[in-house]
Amino acid sequence: MGKVFTGFGYWDVGAWIIFFVVAAFYVLWLRYQGRSDYKKGTEQDEIYWSGNETPEDGDGLTVPASSAYWGFRKALEPFYDRLVGMHTGIATDILGFYILVTAFMAAIILFV
Amino acid sequence: MIGNAPFFTVGILFMMGLVGIFMTRNLIKIAIAVSILGSSVNLFLVSLGYREGGSVPIHFLAGDGEIMVLPTPQAMTLTAIVIALAVTALLLSLIMLVWRHYGTIDVDEVRRLRG
Amino acid sequence: MNWNEHLPALLLALPLLGAFLAPLCSLGGKTLRNAMLVAVSFFTLLVAFFLWRTVLADGIQYYVMGGENSRLALPSGMAIPIRIILEVDALSAFMALCGAIASFAGALFSLNYMSRFTGLSRFASLYLLLTAGMLGMMITGDIFNFFVFIEVSSIASFGLIAFWRDRPAAVEASFKYALISQVGSMLILVAAGCLYGKYNMLNMAAIGSALKMGAMEKVALVFLVGSLAMKCGAFPMHMWLPDGYAEAPTGVTCLLVAVSQASLYGLARVCFSVYGIAIGSAFIPWMIIVFGLASMFFGVAMAVVQHDMKRLIGYHSVSQVGYMLLGLGVGLLVLGDPRAMAEFGFTAITGGLFHAFNYTMYKALLFLAAGAVYYATGKRDLNDMGGLARRMPYTAVMFLIASAAISGLPPFNGFVSKLFIYESSFAVHPFLAVVALVTSVLTLASFVKVFQTAFLGPEKSVFAGVREVPPAMLAGMAVLTVVVLGLTLFPSWSIANLAEPAARALVDQSGYIGAIMGGGM
Repeated sequence: MGKVFTGFGYWDVGAWIIFFVVAAFYVLWLRYQGRSDYKKGTEQDEIYWSGNETPEDGDGLTVPASSAYWGFRKALEPFYDRLVGMHTGIATDILGFYILVTAFMAAIILFV
Repeated sequence: MIGNAPFFTVGILFMMGLVGIFMTRNLIKIAIAVSILGSSVNLFLVSLGYREGGSVPIHFLAGDGEIMVLPTPQAMTLTAIVIALAVTALLLSLIMLVWRHYGTIDVDEVRRLRG
Repeated sequence: MNWNEHLPALLLALPLLGAFLAPLCSLGGKTLRNAMLVAVSFFTLLVAFFLWRTVLADGIQYYVMGGENSRLALPSGMAIPIRIILEVDALSAFMALCGAIASFAGALFSLNYMSRFTGLSRFASLYLLLTAGMLGMMITGDIFNFFVFIEVSSIASFGLIAFWRDRPAAVEASFKYALISQVGSMLILVAAGCLYGKYNMLNMAAIGSALKMGAMEKVALVFLVGSLAMKCGAFPMHMWLPDGYAEAPTGVTCLLVAVSQASLYGLARVCFSVYGIAIGSAFIPWMIIVFGLASMFFGVAMAVVQHDMKRLIGYHSVSQVGYMLLGLGVGLLVLGDPRAMAEFGFTAITGGLFHAFNYTMYKALLFLAAGAVYYATGKRDLNDMGGLARRMPYTAVMFLIASAAISGLPPFNGFVSKLFIYESSFAVHPFLAVVALVTSVLTLASFVKVFQTAFLGPEKSVFAGVREVPPAMLAGMAVLTVVVLGLTLFPSWSIANLAEPAARALVDQSGYIGAIMGGGM
């Protein structure tokens, strides 16, 4: 039950779940160890905001989603410019791609 | 050769509709071109059913006919015409709503959803 | 009366009846209309379930519409079937079950989600019409009837995507979808006409038995593959999909996901059961594989940089469809070679079909969770969100389960179907498996961003009044979560009873033809 044989190996759900349970147990035990000189509620608990004033509201603390992968996007700038440039949003462009792909397939299958 | 005239017409109408979609910037003209495309496909379906010397495909009180044209393409065409009618009606009402919201029906301007 | 015999016709009749009863039920008040919507969806799900059990027990079921006897496919003296015949084999029943579950979950969700808006009798009517069109696409055995049901579901979707008529983006998305859908459907009609003109038959099994590859058949195949791939959302014809899925009301998006799967079913049916090994050259299988690879990679590349939640999930739809196209393409490539088929071809098709079922379940759950966030906070842009997990715990947990499933994290069900696809595509060429693995990694990256931005992090003061969504919406999401968890915990049962019979029915072209034509090609 829960074991699937593919052509080249097998997949066992029970084994994975047991693995995750054991790993979770270890992680939680390690977290529970802690340090003896940590006191909750004192200044050891405060957020460190690079020496500046910590913003009160969560608004100033969150990292917006658009800046999450900016390095990835910047490194692949030529690729992304062309890819996003292809998605112009003009209705006839979508149709153009579709007709071009169908015409290309028809030409190749009939004449090659 | 002359018997293939309907199919040549189908090809010409199809190309007219297709080229019309890409050559114009007005959304209403694009909807008209799509309608021409639909008409060409309906003409294709009807002309598939023709048999040489055939009469109308009715038995009851329709006179003496040994060869009849095929009735199935006629049924297919009627269905396709009704469907194309419904889609044209929806396309035109959507264009009307686009004009009300955007103030323009130029296909290059209606692109707030991009990227 | 033997109910089992009439199940295929009931599967179509119930949603159609519900669609036409909706305006009448609205006269009786809001509760009656809501009750009718949920009841009809639930009974359709029951019929789909019983139909699936019947097909697994008794083999291919077929139903002749309008004949004296619903099992008389070839009336006396006829050599070809002359009426519209619904043919349900294991693949059709599998897809119909999948679609019916998505429809039920969406209907439950829409009870509360749409309660603030007017015009809901038309919403219920169009929703049930869309369900009827989708189920019709999946069980019909006649190629012109397939076109008619595609049009029924397309027209219902145009109306539903543009349901919020006062939003410009919704109207624009619906217009673009309408334009490309109409041109695509006209090309499908040209293909049906080409096949009819050559063989004078519209029944898919009958055409499959008489088919010999020539110029007309090649043109018909290209038009069918191109248009059906467009309707699934294959790159580069996918641009309507994120727009349409994002702007539709969320219950409708849940159903639109299943409608795209119906087009994928149509593609598989045309390539495997109508054409089969007569396809000859390897061009169409390789074209489907290329569509799959391009959709996978470019879909997820676009998804990583989005910041609108539903649009991001829509781009992931494009990339997941690529997995299914890759699996089906690899299976089609080795269809004529029995040794390769036994080695990796059958695994590829099983993986692709199982992925279709998994995908519908977790993608619908993702869209419903995104819709729940929108209902509770009023925002769709990820830049404005944060810290919602404390306020909406159930939604957060279900979104986490769905994200883990789509990224292919073990032990969830996404990993099992992806494993089948990785292994079989590796046997064709290692590059295919590399693209699939890179896509999985990028999917995980994207969903880490979405989950962290929307649910984790410090609380924002603007969200002080946010509460968990109403129970009917949670019930809709819970239905899908239960199915996802069931597929996760019992993969061998799911594959043996869901995916494998469907894959076997797909590659068995002679069985499909023999059920209608009466034994023998």
